[in-house]
Amino acid sequence: MTSFQSTIGDEEGIAEELAEGQREISIAEFFEKNKHMLGFDSGARGLVTAVKEAVDNALDATEEAGVLPDIYIEIEEVGDYYRLVIEDNGPGITKEQLPKVFGKLLYGSRFHAREQSRGQQGIGISAAVLYSQLTSGQPAKITSRPKGQARAQYFELIIDTDTNEPEIKADEETTWDRPHGTRIELEMEANMRARGQLHDYVKHTAVVNPHARLELREPGLDEPMKFERATDELPAETKEIRPHPHGVELGALIKMLEATESYSVSGFLQEEFTRVGKKTADSVLDNFRDVYDGRELAWSPPRAHDDRDVEAAIGDAVANKGKAATTAFAEGVAETVAGNDRLSRSDLAEIVGNVADGVEDDTGRTFGETVRENAVEAAWTAITGVGADRGESSEEDDAPADPVEAAVIADVYALVDEATSTRKDDAAVQAMADALARRFANLDGDAFRITRDDLDRLVADAASFVAEQHDATFGETARENVAEAFWSRARTVPDDPPKVRDVAADRDASADLLEAMRATDILAPPTDCLAPITAELVEAGLRKEYDADFYAAATRDAEVHGGDPFIVEAGIAYGGDIPAEGSVELLRFANRVPLVYQRGACATTDVIKSIGWRNYGLDQPGGSGMPNGPAVISIHVASTNVPFTSESKDALANVPAIEDEIELAVREAARELKSYLNKRRSMQQRREKQNVLGTILPEMADKVSEVTGRPRPNIDGALARIMNNVSVEREVADGTVTLVVENHSDVSETVEITDIVSTEPTDLSDGTVVDMDGEWFVQWKPEVSSGDERELTYAVDDDADFEISVGGVETEKLTVNA
Amino acid sequence: MTTNTDARDELIDLAADFYDQFADGTIPEMKLPTRTKSNIEYDPESGVWTYGDRTSTRSANSVRGARKLLKAAYTIEFLANQLDDDRSSTLRELYYLSESWDNDEAQFGSQDESNDLVEDLEIVTGVTREDFHMRPEESGATLMGPLLIREQTRRGEREIHCQEDVGAGGYQIPNNPDMIEFLDDDIDFALAVETGGMRDRLVENGFDEDYNCLVIHLKGQPARATRRITKRVHDELDVPIAVFADGDPWSYRIYGSVAYGSIKSAHLSKYLATPEAQFVGIQPADIVEYDLPADPLSDSDVNALESELEDPRFQTDYWEEQIELQLDIGKKSEQQSLASRGLDFVTDTYLPERLDAMGVL
Repeated sequence: MTSFQSTIGDEEGIAEELAEGQREISIAEFFEKNKHMLGFDSGARGLVTAVKEAVDNALDATEEAGVLPDIYIEIEEVGDYYRLVIEDNGPGITKEQLPKVFGKLLYGSRFHAREQSRGQQGIGISAAVLYSQLTSGQPAKITSRPKGQARAQYFELIIDTDTNEPEIKADEETTWDRPHGTRIELEMEANMRARGQLHDYVKHTAVVNPHARLELREPGLDEPMKFERATDELPAETKEIRPHPHGVELGALIKMLEATESYSVSGFLQEEFTRVGKKTADSVLDNFRDVYDGRELAWSPPRAHDDRDVEAAIGDAVANKGKAATTAFAEGVAETVAGNDRLSRSDLAEIVGNVADGVEDDTGRTFGETVRENAVEAAWTAITGVGADRGESSEEDDAPADPVEAAVIADVYALVDEATSTRKDDAAVQAMADALARRFANLDGDAFRITRDDLDRLVADAASFVAEQHDATFGETARENVAEAFWSRARTVPDDPPKVRDVAADRDASADLLEAMRATDILAPPTDCLAPITAELVEAGLRKEYDADFYAAATRDAEVHGGDPFIVEAGIAYGGDIPAEGSVELLRFANRVPLVYQRGACATTDVIKSIGWRNYGLDQPGGSGMPNGPAVISIHVASTNVPFTSESKDALANVPAIEDEIELAVREAARELKSYLNKRRSMQQRREKQNVLGTILPEMADKVSEVTGRPRPNIDGALARIMNNVSVEREVADGTVTLVVENHSDVSETVEITDIVSTEPTDLSDGTVVDMDGEWFVQWKPEVSSGDERELTYAVDDDADFEISVGGVETEKLTVNA
Repeated sequence: MTTNTDARDELIDLAADFYDQFADGTIPEMKLPTRTKSNIEYDPESGVWTYGDRTSTRSANSVRGARKLLKAAYTIEFLANQLDDDRSSTLRELYYLSESWDNDEAQFGSQDESNDLVEDLEIVTGVTREDFHMRPEESGATLMGPLLIREQTRRGEREIHCQEDVGAGGYQIPNNPDMIEFLDDDIDFALAVETGGMRDRLVENGFDEDYNCLVIHLKGQPARATRRITKRVHDELDVPIAVFADGDPWSYRIYGSVAYGSIKSAHLSKYLATPEAQFVGIQPADIVEYDLPADPLSDSDVNALESELEDPRFQTDYWEEQIELQLDIGKKSEQQSLASRGLDFVTDTYLPERLDAMGVL
């Protein structure tokens, strides 16, 4: 028989041959072959990505230094290549760090920090450098002047793709007119086909960073695009936080366990995680014991009529302690036990310990470990039958032969009966109780320890036995209820939890700990690691770049996904100069970075499409998909770890917790849009109605006065009433002016009236007068409730002129005849 | 009878109401009874169906209501002027005439709209449209029988005998039958006939002469003038009225509007309806008894019959029995189906038998 081994063995050296071809791949080399993963898949896109990476870095750096960002972007054609220059007013980079920051992939300050920042992996800018050197052969030219230094440092460097180390081509001191900051110059093969995306990126960056000043020059622009800042307020400084217990995975947890200096699990939890104090650590530990050790089932003590006697059992078990002490001890334990509804073996041990201590104090007799242990064992036997001799099963008696079964059967029956629905017939419940009692009796050890999983399995096993033997079904829910009945009455064990090093060494124990952490209710992570834009600034950003009729914004409270806190903000701009044709513009942002590519793959797009926009007054063909109309919707997701679909960070992944929050934020802003649109529509209808009635009713009045031969009636009252309007009318008689305000609307109105009079008015019944260079301003601000009217009178010369202006009420709702 | 001045005053009063509402600062409006099947009630005193208590309001509160009232104001002016000048015009002329008004908003969009408005004005002022001097287009309904009348025409008085002075077509009923005076007659009963074919058959067979019968041609759903003259013949000449129509649900409605009044003109029921009018046939029972050629009921026929069972005007034992029988046999027959027994069958056998049974003969 030919064995495989020998066949392979014959072909000598295959493994060695293969091994020759196997070597470490440098990350830089890897990137060289996988440019697309980082957003450098084409010349057009490469340019946008390079700008994006450099600007993101510049914004991060300036904000961290507490400086209002002032960023300059320039793109120039240089022969067959494009030169990209980005300058910022950041803190600069030290001479030592600079080559690594720009010339080494995966070098950065962000990756290990749980804090909101634009950059995360430390790939971006060095990838841009790499892309530039690969396509143009030119080194990156970097100038940096740290704050306070007289001169700037100038470097030219390339990345050695074999070693992923920077190779410095030039290193000299130079002068620079900026007091501090960094300038990077990259030359690359590129084209401007993605000009639209580039402009979008810069514009959207300005929308979402209203504190930044941006300037873009590129060959296609006659004048540079400038974006001034809308606020001098820097975003709130973010703090780094420790991981949240709900957010770690098993591998990470084991690594943390191995690395920690804590000795106890409790200490480890409090030390290494956010939102864990003593109390939370204790509840995690309780949960940990439940999964790691299991709980101890608790049983009710024997009742008076049972022939199991705790007192007698203890009395028998204690020797050589004198009659008085023994009796006091036995009585004390029996009494306390009887006073408990249910107790586990640990509970019993505690009781015995307490009583023994008490009796020791009273009698001076010592109750040692062994005595106490014997007493516990004897009492436990009396309560549960554990360790009792197998009794003679009397022939006619159908009571179970096993002493444990006999002792616990009543308890088990009561719990099963309570947990199952009343429709279960008694025989089935009895059969189930028998089957369970038998299985409990067979548990290892004296203490009836069992984990929840094992308990579930045990109940399921008993249920299938009952189903088979007694043709009574215990379904999923009934089993669940039965198991829960026992579990909720079982006691958490008092054992000390294992030490950190034991848990770290035991993968199953670590998994149990993780399960316990996840099962414990723990406060959401703190949000000072996040810097939301805030609703006002979201709105200000939109206001700055879009000339619209209406703006709304909403910021949600922080939520958690996978242990990382996040905040979603949404803004909507509507009308004005926003083009009405086609679908609305969607601006997507993650940690204040605009997402330009892969809109269709983004969770934000999915959410927008799933919302019924017709409800909110936007046109939506077919009732789903992107809405149409003159609107811009912006969505910002800030998180310590924004889940992207790929390394190029173009699209948010579909994480349900984040999608829900996006939907809520958008709906919140959309509700404001809806009420704005409704109001606008009703005002428009009111205007139309007013226009039509404003022509029809006077004509009708003319006609009826013609037919009846009477003078034309005054129809303003009727008109105001029809329009549910507020009417202001003036009557002048005998030097007295009366202004009458009637409110025909269904809400109370506060009317601001300013009457400019050419001669001095006197005897005002209400309001105030101000003399302004020979004109008198009579001001009056009555509140008139629905259906009510108010009057203002004053005395004035007969030849006075009046000019009234009325505010506080929409013009559509106002009829002024004064 | 309302004089021109009375009618004019009623119209001006309505305009004055609008005027006063404006002057008071209230919203001009006009209240009308709701004109639906559910708002007609039997008036036991007159035996006809009139509008109930439910009203609807035309108010200037809405753009639509304001337009209606504007049109009403213009129409009031037009009617008042027409009465001043003692002129008359047709409903259709009113519709076209509105085109000449200086206000686009006051012009009618369709003739139904102007017809409805004239009816509204009738109801609110209590003046009939005939007294506004508004005529419908000629309906062409006629009389034939031993009756001498005097008609006030715009060209003077004419005395006409409706048998001797007329051709085979008979005397054409004028738009305002109140302009007619009954002078002399030799009528035992009047027979209102739905179709022209049957009227011609009766005249050709000399039924009017043989039985001293006034044959009234209804010409389908009868115009107001036809119903009015039928009522006057009944009331003033004290003769029984019999209605002879097809045996289908639509013809029962013709009978209903002669006898009980129509829903649209229920405000005039006391003036137009003849509750004593009896239905001759074709009854569903006749289809069975005379074994008449019949067509099956269509779905719309069945619906119409069922809707008649709900109609308060048809809730009598007689009609319930007949309609249920018809639904049961599922058939309908035209008047002309009697010709299957010979051309003289209707005058020699059917009508004498039926009229005898009804106690008319």
